[in-house]
Order: sequence, then C-alpha cells, then structure tokens
Amino acid sequence: MADRRTDRHGAGSPVASSHERTGGQDTREFVSEAEDTLEQMRESLSRLHDQRAEAGEVDPDLVNRLFRAAHSLKGLAGMFEFDAVGALAHRLEDILDGLRLGRIAIDSPVVPLLDEGVALFAAALSRIEQSGSGTTDLETSVREIVARLERGLAASPVASGEGLDGLGLADSELRALTEYEEHRLRENLRQGRHLSRVETTFEISAFEDGLAEISAAIREVGEVVSTLPSPGPAPESQICFALLVGTDVSAEHLAERLDFPDTRVVSIQEGRPPAAPAPKSAAGGHEPAGEVETRFGDRSAEHESAGPVPEIESLRSISETVRVDIRKLDELMNLVGELVIQRNAIEDVALRLNQNPGTARIGAELGKVHKAIDRKLKSLQSGVLDVRMVPMRQVFEKLSRVARRLHRDLGKDPEVNFKGADTELDKLIVEQLVDPLVHVVRNAFDHALEPSEERVAAGKSPRGTIGVSAFQRGNHVVIEVEDDGRGMDVESIRAEAVSSGLIGEQEQLTKKEILNLVFQAGFSTAREVSSTSGRGVGMDVVRNNLAEMGGMVEVTSEAGSGTTVTITLPITLAIIQALIVGVGDERFAIPLNAVLETLAVEPSQILHSEGREILNLRGEPLLLRRLGEEFEIPCGGPEARQFAVVLGLGDQRLGLLVDRLQGQQDTVIKPIKGPVQQIRGIAGATQLGDRGAILVIDVSSVVTDATRRREAA
Amino acid sequence: MSESRPETAEQGREWEALARGAAKDLLGGSREPIEMQRELLVFGLDRAAYAVSVEHVREIVRMRELTPIPRAPAWLLGVVSLRGEIVEVLDLRRRLGLGASTPDRSNRIVVLHGDVDRVAGLLVDSVSEVHRVPEEAILPAQGLDLASVGEICTRGDEFVSILDLDRVLGVVEVDLADRSSGETGDADG
Repeated sequence: MADRRTDRHGAGSPVASSHERTGGQDTREFVSEAEDTLEQMRESLSRLHDQRAEAGEVDPDLVNRLFRAAHSLKGLAGMFEFDAVGALAHRLEDILDGLRLGRIAIDSPVVPLLDEGVALFAAALSRIEQSGSGTTDLETSVREIVARLERGLAASPVASGEGLDGLGLADSELRALTEYEEHRLRENLRQGRHLSRVETTFEISAFEDGLAEISAAIREVGEVVSTLPSPGPAPESQICFALLVGTDVSAEHLAERLDFPDTRVVSIQEGRPPAAPAPKSAAGGHEPAGEVETRFGDRSAEHESAGPVPEIESLRSISETVRVDIRKLDELMNLVGELVIQRNAIEDVALRLNQNPGTARIGAELGKVHKAIDRKLKSLQSGVLDVRMVPMRQVFEKLSRVARRLHRDLGKDPEVNFKGADTELDKLIVEQLVDPLVHVVRNAFDHALEPSEERVAAGKSPRGTIGVSAFQRGNHVVIEVEDDGRGMDVESIRAEAVSSGLIGEQEQLTKKEILNLVFQAGFSTAREVSSTSGRGVGMDVVRNNLAEMGGMVEVTSEAGSGTTVTITLPITLAIIQALIVGVGDERFAIPLNAVLETLAVEPSQILHSEGREILNLRGEPLLLRRLGEEFEIPCGGPEARQFAVVLGLGDQRLGLLVDRLQGQQDTVIKPIKGPVQQIRGIAGATQLGDRGAILVIDVSSVVTDATRRREAA
Repeated sequence: MSESRPETAEQGREWEALARGAAKDLLGGSREPIEMQRELLVFGLDRAAYAVSVEHVREIVRMRELTPIPRAPAWLLGVVSLRGEIVEVLDLRRRLGLGASTPDRSNRIVVLHGDVDRVAGLLVDSVSEVHRVPEEAILPAQGLDLASVGEICTRGDEFVSILDLDRVLGVVEVDLADRSSGETGDADG
C-alpha cells in the first residue's frame, strides 16, 4: 500500500519560499543538480515512448529509473525550499510509482502528462537560475499541471492482474512480496514466462558476492522477481536463499545455466507463448554494412542481453565520474597557459645565455631544464585539455529528442541516424554547438523533406532520412547533416538573392557560391518560408554562432536528391600552436592548425585575374590576400618579396601574404577586454615572452571575407 | 565566498556606506550626519585636471608596449598586456576631442573597471592624487558642451572635470565586424 504522503505542500504556495535565500551559490547548486537529473529523465522518457510505440510495453528498469529521478527532484526541491516545483516533482513521482507498480497502465492518458511536467520543470529551473528566486509567472502553469496530474491519478484505471493463487507458492512467500514484486510477478505471468524458484546456499561471509553472481547469471535469461532468505537446512555458517525468477527459458535450461554449487531450480509454472505477439516495428530504412551506428530509441542497441540491465552496474558507473564546474576547468586551462608562456620565456633566456661565451655553459644547462619542463608541460596540457573533452553523444541525444518533438509537431517521420557519437569536442564548444545544430536539423525536417506522397511519386522511400555524422579531421571536428530531401534550387535562390539586393542581376556566380548565399544576413530576413527552396530562415545566425567559435559552415546540394550541411569546428579553443608573422612594423599570430604550408613568393609569380591576385600552386590557382591591405597596415610595397601562408578551412584555400615569417610558438588565445568588441579578423591576443601582446588572427573570418569579396570589375 | 574587494562599483558604494555607518556607531554616535564624500583620482591631461571615482580605478601602470588594433577607431590606441590579461587602451585626449596623443614613457595608463567584467585603460599624461570632496561640492557639468564629462568640482584654485565613465568607455560597443560587403563597413573615427 503506497503511503499517500500527507504533507501536501499544496500547489498554492509561491514557487520560492519566502525565506532568505543564502545566495546565488545555493541556487546554482540546486539548478545544476536538478538539470542533470532532468536530463536523465528526458532521455528515459524518450526511450519510454519509443518502447511503448514499438513493443506496447516498457522495460521495468526504465520506469524505476524515472521514478527514482522524480523522487530525487522532489527531495532536491524540498531541500532548497522551492516548494511549487517540489509539488510538481511529487506528482510526477506519484504517477511513475503507479506506473511501476502496475496501478497505471502504460497507455493511460496520464502518461503524456509526464512530458509536459518535465518540460515545465525545466522552464521553472531556467527562471530560477536567472532570477535567483521566485518564478511567479510560471506559478499558474505549475498549479494547473499539478491539478491535472492529480485528476489523472484519481481517474487512472488499475491494470487488472491475474490471480496469484493456484500457483503453488506458499502463503508465506506471497505475503513476503512487496507491492512492486507482486506487480513484477504478475507481469511475468502475463508475458507467459517460466516461473521458477532458485534455491541456493552460501557461506555467510561471502553471500553478497555469491548472490550478485547468481542474480547476474539469471538476468541473462530473465528477471529476478524477489530474493528472500529462506529457512533451509543449513549449518550455522551458511545461509539459504530462495529467488523467484521469471525466465524465457525453461526451468531445466535455467538449471543447466546456473552452474553454482548447492543450487537447485524448482519449476513453479511453465511458461506459455504470450497471447498476442508484441508488435515490433520493422527497423525502417537500410542497414548500411560496415559502419557501426548508434540509433537512439532503438532499445536493442542498449541492451545486449534479453534481460534488464542490472542496477549494480549503473550505480558503479555513476561513482566513476565526477561533476566539475566548468569554470574550474577554465582556471586550470589558464594556469597551464601561463606556464606555457613562462616556459617560452625560459627558452628565450637560455638562448641569450648561449650566445655569450661567458655564460654558454649555464645556458646549456638551462636549456636542458627547459626541455624537461617542456615534456612535462605538454603532458599536463593534453591532460587538462582531455578533461574538457566530451563526446558528441550528448549532442546527439538532444538532437534525437528534438527529432521526436518535430515528428509530433510536424507529422513528418524521417529516419534519423547518428554516426560518430564518440567523437570528442571541448565542452564549451559542445554547449554552444547545440543550438545551431538543432536549427539545421529543424530546417531539414521543415523544408528539405517532402511529404511522403511527393517522395513516393519521385521514386524515393516514403520516410526520408536525415543523417548526422561527426568525425575528426586533423585539428578539426567535422559535423555533417545530410538529408535525402528535395535539395536546393539554385535558380530560385539566385532569383531571391537578386530581388533582395544581395547580388546584381548580371553577376556570375558558381553553384557553390549561390548555394552559400543562404548564409548571408540579407538573404534570410528577406525570404519567407518557401516550399520551393531547400533551406529556411536563420542560417545567418547559425553561421555567426559558429564563427564565434572559430568554426564555419557550408552547404552542398543536388536538386531532387538532397542537401548536406557541413560544419567545421576547431577541437579546442584553448592552447594552440601559432605561426608568428610580420607585416610592416607589426607582428601577428596565426593558429597553426589552419596553416597548410608556407612559401616564399616573388612579385613576378603573382598573377592577376578579375581584380584579384592569384598564385599558381602546383597547377592549381590559389587566391592571395595581402595581410597589410586587409589590416590597413603600411608594409613592403608590391616589389618586395613576400611569404604566402596557405590557410585551409574546410574546402577553402587562401594564401595570406606577409613580409616575414618569425617562427612558431605555443600560445594561449586570450580574449581582448575593453569597450570595442567584435574586432573583425582578430580572434584574440596572446603574450610572447616578456614582450607585449600579439594579436591572433581569426582564420575563418579572414578566409571567408577574402573569398567573398568581389572587386568591382 | 569571502572576497575582500567589492565586485562592482555599486557594491563598493554600499560597503562604504555600511562602513561609515558602523564607524559612526563606534565613535559614540554623533548627532550630526556624516557628510557623504567622494574620493576621486585626479590626473592631468594637457595641463587640465580630470578625475574618476576611485572605486572605478583598478590600478595605475606605467606606459608599456602598445599593440595597435587593425581598422580600429582612432581613439583606440591598442592593447597592452597586464600580467597576461589583454586590455584595450583608449586615447583620452582623442575621446575628449583634444587632438591626438603621442604616447611616451612619461604617460600613465589608468586601468578602470566597471561592472560585469568590463575593463579598459585610459592613457593620461600624469596622475596627481586622490582628492576627497564632499558630495555637495560636486556640481553637474551642464551648460558645458563636454561629451564625456558629467560633473565638475574644485581643487584648490582649479577645476576638476569628473568623467562620465559610461560615456567614455562603457556603452561604446563599437562593432568592427560588419565588413561583409567589404566597402560599406566603416570604423568610426
């Protein structure tokens, strides 16, 4: 009997307690913990819906996990005195309790309220985070949903259970079962599994391990309904257990598998095939051979064995991870960066000592010390960087949920595949990546994919596919979102660009240039959502967001076949190797990961075409740009010999012309503080040795500007 | 967390008021209200005196290597490195419309901090002292056509122009980013 807790907080109390809050620290703690739990709940709920849709029934472990999460949230809210969200969590917990005990059926109308409740909780959380206290404008919504949850609970039909008498179980055994265990017993019977009793004996000193072992073995083929010590004939030093189990295999089979001493299996009831076969939707689409894919929502990918995942495992994995405030990681990163700068300074001093014969020997010793520090520092550097790296999986899971929501909202049901969930990125980048990616995926759903009738008429599969893949390429991570929708119509994009004044009527553009017009600010705001084009509004926002992280985005498309959006990001923003170059009296740093090669260039080698300067690089034309011109710095005239730093980003190439090449350094890119922000072409600054600051060039904007710039003919 | 410095200018004023109140109690509670005073850092520019509230001043450093910023407005001299932190330095002369500076070793940089992590440096000719002035002696600088000076007070026989920091540095979020068409993007002079 569930104890209906009588300390109802009541939905009428204000969301935040009227007590003095001890400050932002507490709120932050609450929000951070609650967010984690909420995230788990969202993931589990998403899987719950999938299981329900595919199989009509739900993994009991999943429901248990949801129940425990809601219980956690309730406790957390209570501890920090956020009363209304606490009441919300309480009702969610009640529903989940009913669900796991079988008192609420999985297809009860109350179940979708869980999603609403979780979403509202999340909204309340972000209010709390922003304002630090009350969330009064959400009070009404919270009250309303709590009322609906309560009504739903009251009206819920109790799932009928089969009689447990006549099973051959002793009265004492039946009475010892908790409500949950009773429910599981009924479930196993309903599913037609074999019911058996496993009797086993262990030494008292070792029974925990033994029990864990035998339970694990049973779980491979079934479920442990209950575990009870039993009064058996055993000497003082031993203890007997009786496990009630429901298995997919017969009792004899089970006995064979359980090769443990002092164990016997007694059959209680033979299983039978289930009344109606569980509807398993065929995995739509093609299974590509070779590549290992992770499909979220596909339960079999998560559980290798037939039974539920043992709880012991999941507890252990929780304790192996530590949650760390990202700001602490930033501080660590800064410290390592400072060490890098000082290490460079030591090298400087060693060199100067070497040059003077009187101090050369000391210089050599210092040089050795420097090398040793260098090695250790590199390890420290990569260690700290590693801590900040998180796999794309998190992002994919969010995208999966977005896809589900879009499916509900838009009615389109494409197959969404993910590849490369293990690809790692800096945590900060990952967090900022989610919004642009969601945008791109949404566009694919909304605009790129045609309705099924249209697809079938065109000879395509009715569902459509969206593939999201992430992989590492050198010092970058590439993320591709590919759909097999209607593709982008070059002509209509061109026409719209002309009508919004972005390009002239007569301008000649390559297909690639036309397609990438969709990223321009003027383009998106001028267009309405059109059914003839492949992509909708907001792509300029996506490009700007990505550019802030030093990333870039491109699109390719074939009319009728589909579109691919390619996002390129640096793996980490923190410590980078930089090439130091000189232009006029100034010096700049260029991140080495974008540099393909450097060459000396004589003025005679520079060709001119359509107002631009080009270099013939092994037969291919390389667009050139003088850094002095770009930055309006007086520099060596066109007669002087220059160096070309060949920059590569995605598919684009640019040869940046500079006066001098001055070596390589490890540097930390720091933000420039001051009233002037958004300095085009500059990603930040760093310090070299004990001299002043050096500006670091933002490769992606320099490359993009140069390739887009059109000189008047 | 125990921080011994105020995090924002506003917090600084609060603390100051609290401290004064406490001091008053300790001194046996005189009947007279203690005047509110302001502490100003006075510095020189072109032989005239200017000032900012002390609570906005983070530090004062000697002139050091300035790295210019490409395509920046003329009043932005560049950036300096302050113990690893990269901070923009403004030409106060230009900002006040007094012509251009030719920075040399005698100049000083007054490093200011506002709220929300705003930092900036002001290039000045020299720094004089901290001048304590009762609130009532500070007058608004109306009628004077000065874009960056909000108030004025006296110090001996000279006038001190108190800078309005919001106008000098805070709200100037100049965006040099819009160069997309190449020709039309324009950095303010």
